[in-house]
Amino acid sequence: MKSFFKNLFDVKNWKKKTKITWIVVLCVLAVCCVLSAIKPSEADMKLQASEQMQKLIQADENSTRKHVTVTYNSLIIVNYCSFSTSGASEINEKYVGFAGQVFHADEGVGKFVGQMVNYTYRMLGCGENILHGAKLTLLLTTLTTLIGVILGTLLALGKISRNKLLSKPCSAYIFFFRGTPLLIQLFVIYYSLPAIFGFAWRDLFDAADNQAVYKGAFIAALIAYGLNSGAYCAEIVRAAIQSIDKGQHEAAKALGLSYGKTMRLVIIPQSVRRMVPPICNEFIMMLKDASLVFAISLMDITTISKNIMTSEISYIVFLPALIIYLIITAFFTWIFNAVEKKFSLYE
Amino acid sequence: MKKFKRILALIGVMTLIAALFAGCGKENSDNSNSGAASSEKTYDLTGVKLLNDGVLCVGEEVGYPPFEDFAEDGTTPIGFDVDIINEIARRLGLKVNIINTSFDGIFAGIGNNYDVVCSACTITDKRKQSMLFSTPYISNYQAVILKAGDTRTISSFNDLDGMTIALQKETTSDELISDYKSTGTIDIEIVANEKVLSCFTQLDNGEVDAVVVDSTVADGYLAKNPDKYIYAYKDEAEAESFGIAIGKENEALKKVIDEVLADMEADGFIKETLEYWFGAE
Amino acid sequence: MDNYEYILETEHVSKNFGNLVVLKDINLKVKKGEVICIIGPSGAGKSTYLRSLNQLEKITSGKIFIKGDLFLHREKDHTVERIDKQTQQKLLLEMGMCFQRFNLFPHKTVLENICLAPVEVKHEDKETVKQEAMELLQKVGLADKANEYPNRLSGGQQQRVAIARALAMKPEIMLFDEPTSALDPELVGDVLQVMKDLALEGMTMLVVTHEMGFAKEVADRVLFMADGIIAEEGTLDRIFNHPENPRTQSFLKSVLNV
Repeated sequence: MKSFFKNLFDVKNWKKKTKITWIVVLCVLAVCCVLSAIKPSEADMKLQASEQMQKLIQADENSTRKHVTVTYNSLIIVNYCSFSTSGASEINEKYVGFAGQVFHADEGVGKFVGQMVNYTYRMLGCGENILHGAKLTLLLTTLTTLIGVILGTLLALGKISRNKLLSKPCSAYIFFFRGTPLLIQLFVIYYSLPAIFGFAWRDLFDAADNQAVYKGAFIAALIAYGLNSGAYCAEIVRAAIQSIDKGQHEAAKALGLSYGKTMRLVIIPQSVRRMVPPICNEFIMMLKDASLVFAISLMDITTISKNIMTSEISYIVFLPALIIYLIITAFFTWIFNAVEKKFSLYE
Repeated sequence: MKKFKRILALIGVMTLIAALFAGCGKENSDNSNSGAASSEKTYDLTGVKLLNDGVLCVGEEVGYPPFEDFAEDGTTPIGFDVDIINEIARRLGLKVNIINTSFDGIFAGIGNNYDVVCSACTITDKRKQSMLFSTPYISNYQAVILKAGDTRTISSFNDLDGMTIALQKETTSDELISDYKSTGTIDIEIVANEKVLSCFTQLDNGEVDAVVVDSTVADGYLAKNPDKYIYAYKDEAEAESFGIAIGKENEALKKVIDEVLADMEADGFIKETLEYWFGAE
Repeated sequence: MDNYEYILETEHVSKNFGNLVVLKDINLKVKKGEVICIIGPSGAGKSTYLRSLNQLEKITSGKIFIKGDLFLHREKDHTVERIDKQTQQKLLLEMGMCFQRFNLFPHKTVLENICLAPVEVKHEDKETVKQEAMELLQKVGLADKANEYPNRLSGGQQQRVAIARALAMKPEIMLFDEPTSALDPELVGDVLQVMKDLALEGMTMLVVTHEMGFAKEVADRVLFMADGIIAEEGTLDRIFNHPENPRTQSFLKSVLNV
């Protein structure tokens, strides 16, 4: 880590490729900064409403049943604003703000850009709590993988242990959680357990917190995903541990190392390198499996894009979804590769 | 020789499996309610286009009780819609073939996979642009259901302010309450589920404070579990009607179905079926 | 303090894999400072015998004494006399072992390999251990490789590190299981030199080897094993020049003539 930063600031000795990369990145950042500074403000956007719409908004002010939905989405360099009424007389007005200009977004390129901004904004879960959209997907997958790796290591050690009182339950656990679908495990944990034992996941949080229902569902999801991922990781860890040469065990034993120390100091550090690629795979699977949370009322990227497709009958919604997924996957593949590299220094 | 025998056995097993699947695919086409029809009037079917002669193919998402659900055997569709469509077909002298389809995109199948859709479809202006609807056979309102023992009073949707409610995704309830939220009328947390059953389970478990749902569906749940829930509010002002969706080019079919529905209303069949599925009012 | 006659003693050591007899009633008494070479055709049970001394193989029956203390007593695949863990561990650590395939820990540097056991098992002071490890590396001629990873070293260098690693635990007996068999011929010399130095320092050594030259040079006694028994044993002069057992004769003939 230290050397990384040292190299980073050692501008004179940068490799040519690094130089070019940094120049490009900085240029893009600068352009983004300028564009985001000169894009129309929220107030500007909201002034765009037509006279008819202004009247409706005015009428809403003192009404107990309001009719106009004002949507304002800001996405770094672009912003999007729409006014719509529901019911029999539907009126829709959409605007896109970019580089100090406001464009109509009811058709053509404007419409496409508007939709992209709006969909991306919704899928990222901007303006919502953390348990929404891409934020939910990321949080759930990352925490699940962490829990899975820790639980999986313990289970794997249990499974290969000679003590039957330990290995049998671990094997049974792994068999059970790998042999049943995640969706059903999720159902059982979120719906069945509270019904049987008379508690609510929501009660884990402050009753006055109006986000409690999502937090509760998230905890249930985390437990289900963690338990499930633990079983899969256990097999990965077990395979990695058992792939280490028997001679390593013998050498450690001949030196008087206990079983625990042999595992901790000799075997597991060597197997990490072999675990990383399959765990990266498992992580990416989890990223996709995270969409199952729709079953317990949480909305991840896939669920949101599906909802948009049904309610707006729009098929380009999947474009931003694909891009968001690819960016997340690329980022984590990079991290996993770095970890693998770190643990294979000695090769 | 041995190999030949093995192949024969394999073919035998595969035929058996195929036969089994074929058996599953067969529809129970004659479980129609004998009903209360007094006069055996005949209807004029000239100009009616059907995918299969003598059979009315019906698209339905089976799994929305009490409108349509599978009976205990897991294969026979039952429910209010099923009774209505069976009776219509019986009076027209047609057999019924119910095709179980996901509600997402159910209307796209009209004219291709089935002749009509009878699956608790709300008649809306938007839908009317691309299909025909029969005369409404049941009216529906949006209702608020609370858990038994809850003392809150709800006299309009505005009273849901600050609550956490569950509703079924992509339904009229979803549209309505989402509109209340997005326009800023009330501050509410909406938990949107794929299935109505999930909403009621969440209410049971205490995850949500209330369920907003079609009154017809609520009637069914309350009839089954009278001690568990309270009917807190019904939005009488904004009624919506359910109709049978028919292909745009099939005017003749719409005409004859409307005729039958009018007769069923007149001779009390609809009222009787309503009472059977939703309890007496 | 050393009130024992033999530093290592085995009585009636036998081992079966099912019906296959690998070791049959082996009795051996080793005096402190003796260098014993075990030779014999492959499959004779030489490695198994060596490995069973420090419990890498479980013997079926027999007794093993280290420095006069009972280390292991098994009959019919069951431990008969239980020896408390601490004593057993203490006695186990009197033996250092070198393997045919070195078995260095690839994720640790040379220095870390050597320091691991003294620090983790004997809980010795890190700095002292490090210093001693450097001395050992000096001794095996690899002081400049202290911070390399084992995979960057040649086979001969790795084996010398393995010897240093075993020596770091300050054992009184060194067991060598074919230490040069996996090496390229030109790398054998350095390893053997280190072993010869050890022998000269008075280390008690049991060496399973095919290096007859080494045996001739340093062994006090040679055991010829065949079919799970010690077929012949004696001073190197007697075994090499006047073998009595016909199997020894034919083995030596084939080995020395090639």
